[in-house]
Amino acid sequence: MIEQFTEGFAMAMRFDTMALVSVGLFAGMLVGSLPGFTTLMAMAILLPISFFLDPIVGIPFLLGIYKGGIFGGSVPAILISMPGTGAAVATSRDGYKLTQKGESRKALDMALFSSAFGDTCSDIFTIVMMFPIAYLVMQFGPPELFAVLLMSLVIIAATSGANPLKSLIMMMLGLWLSFVGTDPLGGVERFTFGLFDLKSGIPLLPMLIGVFALPEVASVIIRNEKSRQLAALVGERLSKAEFRRCLPTICRSTVIGTGIGIVPGLGQIVAAMMGYSAAKNASKHPETFGEGEIEGVAAAEAANNAVNGPTMVPLLTLGIPGDNVTAILLGAFVAQGLRPGPQLFEEQGATVFAILVAMVIANILFVAIGYLSIPFFARLVTIKTSVLIPLVIMFAFAGTYVFRSDATDLLILVAFGIFGIIAKAGRFDVMPMVMGFILGPSMEYAFGQTVAMSSGNPLGFFATERLGALAVLLVTPFIGYVLWKRLYGTPAKI
Amino acid sequence: MTRRFPFITSEILTLNALMVASVLSLIFMNSLVAAPKVLFGRSLSAIPPSLFPSIVLVLLAGMCAATLIIVRTRITHSILEDRMGRTEWLRAVILFGIMTLYAMTMVPFGFLISTAIATALIALQMGARSVLQIGLVSFLGPVLLYLAATRLLAVSLPELNTIELFYADMLSLFASEAPAVPATPDASQ
Repeated sequence: MIEQFTEGFAMAMRFDTMALVSVGLFAGMLVGSLPGFTTLMAMAILLPISFFLDPIVGIPFLLGIYKGGIFGGSVPAILISMPGTGAAVATSRDGYKLTQKGESRKALDMALFSSAFGDTCSDIFTIVMMFPIAYLVMQFGPPELFAVLLMSLVIIAATSGANPLKSLIMMMLGLWLSFVGTDPLGGVERFTFGLFDLKSGIPLLPMLIGVFALPEVASVIIRNEKSRQLAALVGERLSKAEFRRCLPTICRSTVIGTGIGIVPGLGQIVAAMMGYSAAKNASKHPETFGEGEIEGVAAAEAANNAVNGPTMVPLLTLGIPGDNVTAILLGAFVAQGLRPGPQLFEEQGATVFAILVAMVIANILFVAIGYLSIPFFARLVTIKTSVLIPLVIMFAFAGTYVFRSDATDLLILVAFGIFGIIAKAGRFDVMPMVMGFILGPSMEYAFGQTVAMSSGNPLGFFATERLGALAVLLVTPFIGYVLWKRLYGTPAKI
Repeated sequence: MTRRFPFITSEILTLNALMVASVLSLIFMNSLVAAPKVLFGRSLSAIPPSLFPSIVLVLLAGMCAATLIIVRTRITHSILEDRMGRTEWLRAVILFGIMTLYAMTMVPFGFLISTAIATALIALQMGARSVLQIGLVSFLGPVLLYLAATRLLAVSLPELNTIELFYADMLSLFASEAPAVPATPDASQ
């Protein structure tokens, strides 16, 4: 492991890796700074670029977008109370009040430093924990893998919306879509309708861009959003004393964010809200929260960025994307010929470490780029959407085409875009669908192997020989229910 | 405030469509899923290829039905007000119409022409009226992206041979040592 780490460390110390991470960070901050534009959209659209880069360059490039985008979302949240990303909703509570008090520069500085702190600590935790978890996962057989995949899907469905039934419907739809193409066990055609283009299944990239990026773009046009009020970047910069005063809060939020990051499906929004609530509860002056308390900004930003590293744990060890951003990362890994899962550590351990080390390096670059570029990003919130949106659509289409040079992918992209906007209008979360689509083939394959191992009697096999997997299957509904209850609490809101 | 069951919402339409599609797929499963491959009278896979799809489709149809029943009993006034209105849907239809046109014309018309048409239409739909702005976005954007993709990333985008040769000539003016090597054009003339 130490050898792989040192090798990975050396691999990450490349000029092109650092250059592309910087480009990714800048692009992420740029997109995150634009209200209505999300990190997810930026990652989905720029994903094809990573396919043409070395894995140690392409994947850190996407991670740079991810990290930069989360911070970028706090810029409009603080300046015009319009969160650029869902993760910045908690930040806007105190951040915008600070802007109204004439302390927007201080709020943005705090967002930057607390984000970098939370992110770096969680990345180091990820590096330390990744191999022990991967070693544990290597002991898994098909029954355990099937049980864990099923549990992940249930958790994702339970945590992705107030109505678990609708999330489960989307998950089932994703599984159904994953059946299109060739059966992973018997190699026979399913749901292809005789179309040659569907024989290899529905391509992941048009689906990702279609359901994540196009509805976001479309909603800006549908809402007819045109111009915004210019916000000034004023006030003093953050002092060391102020940062030190907030350090306990930042540490607490980092721990919360790190814990939440490991659980598939929860993500930045939950982390930011929990970090903010914990800071408010622990404060001697909780009444100042929501009225322009700098600790509020620190708590939310440290927590939402601390999620970034640990979300890689289920992705890299089990191949389970914890959220929609890691689903895009999974697409990048697969396109690079790296199949996330326990075998990845055996075959490409140094590459995995190189990517993780690049995440830490990205945080150092993140502080430098963010510190210098805050005034620039502050100006971005006023850019005309009629300039940006057509260009974003052009990128989405060009990015989809270059992957396979197949015009059918463009039609699939539009079809998923249309579905995405219908799902948005009907309050269906598309994330469980994408997760079902990604994990469906692995789950079916693991199930088939389990049936083969059990000589056609999987229930008896689980009960007699695979008690661990059976236990996971039995507790799955309870975990799903408890998580849903804690997050949403009230009866289903349709 | 509880209201009468509203039949036409995107949520109900989606649920109905999914339920009907899953039921039809279950009925025609044998036509949609090929028969398992057999060697010496034994199936090559441990589970039939239609088993997993059947389980998923039964669950999907059941959950859609259950959700429709819940929607019927719990739908509220505020939810009805929140849904997209006629104007919003019209904008969405126009936008996705433009996107469909873009997807269908990219290969036969080439990247520049199809992108220029699509981006200009989208900018107009968004209320842009400045000819300069629309021109810059519609022509400069695709030209720069095409050159970046084909020359820097060495990936192919569909383009008409005439336009591709024009790019090559233009670039060779700047790079005097050797003319630029054109990427393989995918578009038919």
